[in-house]
Amino acid sequence: MTLPPLIPLAGAAANIAVVLLAAPLFEGLLRKLTARIQSRQGPPLLQPYFDLLKLLGKEDIESGETPRMQRFAVYLALATVLTVACLVPMGFPAPLDAVGDAILLIYLLTLAGICTLLAGLAAGSTFSVLGISREMMSMMLLEPLLAVALVTGAVHTRSFRLDTLLNGSVYASGGVPWSGLILLGVLLLSFQGFVQRVPFDIAEAETELMEGPLMEYSGPKLALFKYAQMSKLVVYSSLAVGLFIPWGSELGFPWAWLLFWGKVLAFVLLVTLVAATHARYRIDQAIRYFATLLAAALGALLLASCGL
Amino acid sequence: MVARERLTQLKQRFGPAIQRADLPAEDRLFVFVDADAVRDVCRHVFRELDARYVITVGADDRPYSGTYLVAHNFAFDRDHVLVSVLTHVPPEQPALDSISDVVPAANWAEREMRDLVGIEPVGHSYPKRLVLPDAWPEGVHPLRKDFAMNQVPEGLDDTREFAFDEPPPGCTVVPFGPFHPTLDEPAHFRLYLEGERVRGCEYRGFMAHRGIEKLAESVMTYNDIPMLAERICGICGCVHNVAYAQAVESAAALRTPPRAEYIRTILLEIERLHSHLLWTGLACHIVGFDTLFMQCFRIREPVMWIAEKISGNRKTYALCLIGGVRWDITPALKTELLGVVDTLDREWRPVVAAVSRDKNIQKRTRGVGVADKTLVKNAGLVGPVARASGVAIDCRRDHPYAAYDRLQFDVVTADDADVWSRLMVRMHEVFEATRIIRQCLDRMEPGPLQLPIHDELPAGRMGLSSVEAPRGESHHFVITGENNRPRRWRVRAPTYQNLQGIPAMIKDQQLADMTISLGSIDPCFSCTDRLETVDLRTGAARVWTEAELKQLARHTS
Repeated sequence: MTLPPLIPLAGAAANIAVVLLAAPLFEGLLRKLTARIQSRQGPPLLQPYFDLLKLLGKEDIESGETPRMQRFAVYLALATVLTVACLVPMGFPAPLDAVGDAILLIYLLTLAGICTLLAGLAAGSTFSVLGISREMMSMMLLEPLLAVALVTGAVHTRSFRLDTLLNGSVYASGGVPWSGLILLGVLLLSFQGFVQRVPFDIAEAETELMEGPLMEYSGPKLALFKYAQMSKLVVYSSLAVGLFIPWGSELGFPWAWLLFWGKVLAFVLLVTLVAATHARYRIDQAIRYFATLLAAALGALLLASCGL
Repeated sequence: MVARERLTQLKQRFGPAIQRADLPAEDRLFVFVDADAVRDVCRHVFRELDARYVITVGADDRPYSGTYLVAHNFAFDRDHVLVSVLTHVPPEQPALDSISDVVPAANWAEREMRDLVGIEPVGHSYPKRLVLPDAWPEGVHPLRKDFAMNQVPEGLDDTREFAFDEPPPGCTVVPFGPFHPTLDEPAHFRLYLEGERVRGCEYRGFMAHRGIEKLAESVMTYNDIPMLAERICGICGCVHNVAYAQAVESAAALRTPPRAEYIRTILLEIERLHSHLLWTGLACHIVGFDTLFMQCFRIREPVMWIAEKISGNRKTYALCLIGGVRWDITPALKTELLGVVDTLDREWRPVVAAVSRDKNIQKRTRGVGVADKTLVKNAGLVGPVARASGVAIDCRRDHPYAAYDRLQFDVVTADDADVWSRLMVRMHEVFEATRIIRQCLDRMEPGPLQLPIHDELPAGRMGLSSVEAPRGESHHFVITGENNRPRRWRVRAPTYQNLQGIPAMIKDQQLADMTISLGSIDPCFSCTDRLETVDLRTGAARVWTEAELKQLARHTS
C-alpha cells in the first residue's frame, strides 16, 4: 500500500460512520417487514434510532455483580464490531485491509462472542450463566464455519490477504468451484446463527432465559449492546457479500456501492423472513444442526485442498 | 340408576362403616362413612371402582353439627356420576387418615385442608405448608368459622422465610419465578438442574391467595358470589361463574329455564374459543414463533368483540345469577355471532394446517412434557392434558350441564401424551366449539331467562358441579347456609390438579422445554410486593417497603 496513512484512516472513519448510521435503519426495516408478515402495522421505520436515543438518555443503573467488567464488555462489543467494519469492503476496498490478515479477522469475530461471555459472567445470575454456556456451545461450532470459509479461500488463492480473500476467493479454484458452492450453502443455512436471530437466538431466549447475558443491562449500556447487535447484522452481511457474492465490485462508484448495499439489504430481508417463519431451536438441536454444517464445510475444505 | 348401583357395591363391601347415603339426583351420590373407614373406602373407589379423584374439601361444621366435615369427591366419568365420600371429624384435635398414599392426587388438597381448616391428614407423605404465606403463624386456620374474615392473626412474622428442600447432590438450583416472562402469575419453581437437564423441582405457589372462599362465606350473598367467582380467573372466569351457580342450583334443586341453559352454553363456548386461541398463540410465542402468535391473536379479536356486544365486556361476562342468566341473545346478535364463528372457522383452518405441517414446531413439542396414562390417573390430570394422553374425559359429555345433553359434539383426543398432542387437541376443539355454538343458536326457543325464586334457599344442602373449562374440569362444591349465603364453597380449578403433574412431566427434560411444558398455566398477574413513587414536581423518588405497603393497604381498606 503506497497510500498516505491519512486516507485509510479517513476510510475507516467513513466505514464506521456508515455502519453506525445504517444499522438502525436496517433494523427498522427488519421490524417493519416482520410486522407486515404478522398482519401488524409495525413501528415507524426510524423507531430503532428513537429507541437507542431513549435508552441512551436513561439513568445508568449498574445492577450486575461486577459492574467494571460489565462496562468493559459492552464497550468491547461495540468496538470489536466496528473494527471488523474497517476490515471489510463496503462498496469500496476495505480501508484497513493492509493492517491485518484473515487470522486477525477470525480473532476479532471470536472476540465479539467473548464479549457476550464477559457480559454474562459480569451479571452473575444463574440465567445469564446459562445463557453464556449456550452462547459458548454454539460459538464453538459457528466460528469455525467462517474460519473454514476464509481458509478455503486462502487455499485457493494461496494468500491470507484480506483484499484477496474478501473478493469471492472461495470460488477461485479452476473449473466448477464445488467447495465454494458448498460453503455458500453452509453460510446461508447458518447465517441466522451468526446474527443471533430466531431460530438461533437461544442464548437470549426471552421466554426461557429472560435475555440471558443481557439481563442486567439497562439504559445507555443496553443501548450500546443493542447497537452492537444491529451493527453485527450489517457487518456480517458485508462479510458474507465480500466472501461469497462479490460480483460487481469492479464497476466503480456509484454502481458498485449501490449494488453492495442492495446485496446487504437482500441478506437483511432473508434474515427477517427466516426469523418470522420459524420457532426457536433447543440448544441441543441447534448444536446438532451446526455440527452437520461444520462437517459439510470441512468436506468443502478437503475438496479445496484437492483443487476443486 | 348407576349411582344406586355404586352405593350398593359400597354397602356390600363396607357394611356398617357406611353410615348413611343421600341420592338427591340420579347423577349425584353423597356417602357418609366412619372416619376409620375413609381411607379404605377411598382406595376402593379410586383403585377398584376406577373413579377419578376430583378434590378433598374440609369444612368447619362445628356451629351446625358440632364436628368438622371432610368430603373426598370422586367422578365416575363413564357412569356420569359425581360421588362425595363424607365423614365427620370430632372437634377436639381434628385429624383424619390421609388418603394421599392410596390417592396421590389428593396431595395438595389435604395440605390445603390442613392449612386452611386445620384438619390434620395423618400419615401424609409430604405434609409441608402449601397455601398459607410464610409469615402466617402455626395453628391459626383462616377458614374456621371462629376466624373473622378481616382478622390479622397474632404472631404474624414478616421475617420468617420458607424452608426449601435440599436439592439432590450435584444439582444447581435455578429459581423459576415468582416473576418470569412466560409465567404471568406469581408462582415459584425451584428447579434442580444438572447442566441443562431438569432433575427435579420444588413448587411454592399460592402467592396471590385472595381469600375468595372466605369472603363469600362471610359477607356476600348467593347472587353476589357469581360475580366474585368470575374474578377467580382472568381467562376462564365464566366457567367459575356458571359452575358456582350450578352447584347452588343442584343443592337447592332448582331448574334453570332452557333458554338460559343455551345462553350459558354459548358463552362458555365463546370463552373456550378465546382461551384456546390465546393459548395456541402463547405456545407459539414460548417456542419463539411470534408470527403465529400474532395471527392467533388477530383471529381471536372478533370473539372478544362479540362477547362485549353480548355482555358489555370483552371478558368477565357477569352472566349467571342463581337460576338464570342476565343477558339475552337478540336476533341481531345471533346473526352477528353466526358470522363470527363462520369467519373464525375459515381463518382457523389454514392455521391448523400450517401448524400441523410445521417440522420446526414439532421438533420443539414432540416427546416433550409427556404425561402418560398412569400419571393422568395418579395426579388426577384433567382437560386437554388428559385428552392428549388418550383419556377421553370431558365434563360436557360425562357430567352434562347447561344444554350440553341436547347437543352433538366430539371429544377430541390424541395419543402421544406430549405438548404436541395437547396443541393438536386444543386446535381441533376450536371447531367443536363453533359447532356447539351453531347448534345452540339453531335450537334455542324463546322463553324466560330467569327462574323466579320466591323462597329462601334451604340450608345445609350440598351441591356439586363440574364444568369443562378450556383447561379441564372446574369443580365447585357448595354447602348452602343461612343469611342468604353458603356455609362452605370450595372451588377446584383445573390447574390445581394439572400443576401437580408438572414435576413428573419436566423431570429429565431440557430446561428449554420447561416453559412450553408449563405452558398451560392460566396467566393471572396479581401481586407486587413493593413499588416506587416519584414526585413529578420535585423529582424525588421514594421506594415503599413491603411493610409500608401493607400498612397502607390495611389502613385504607
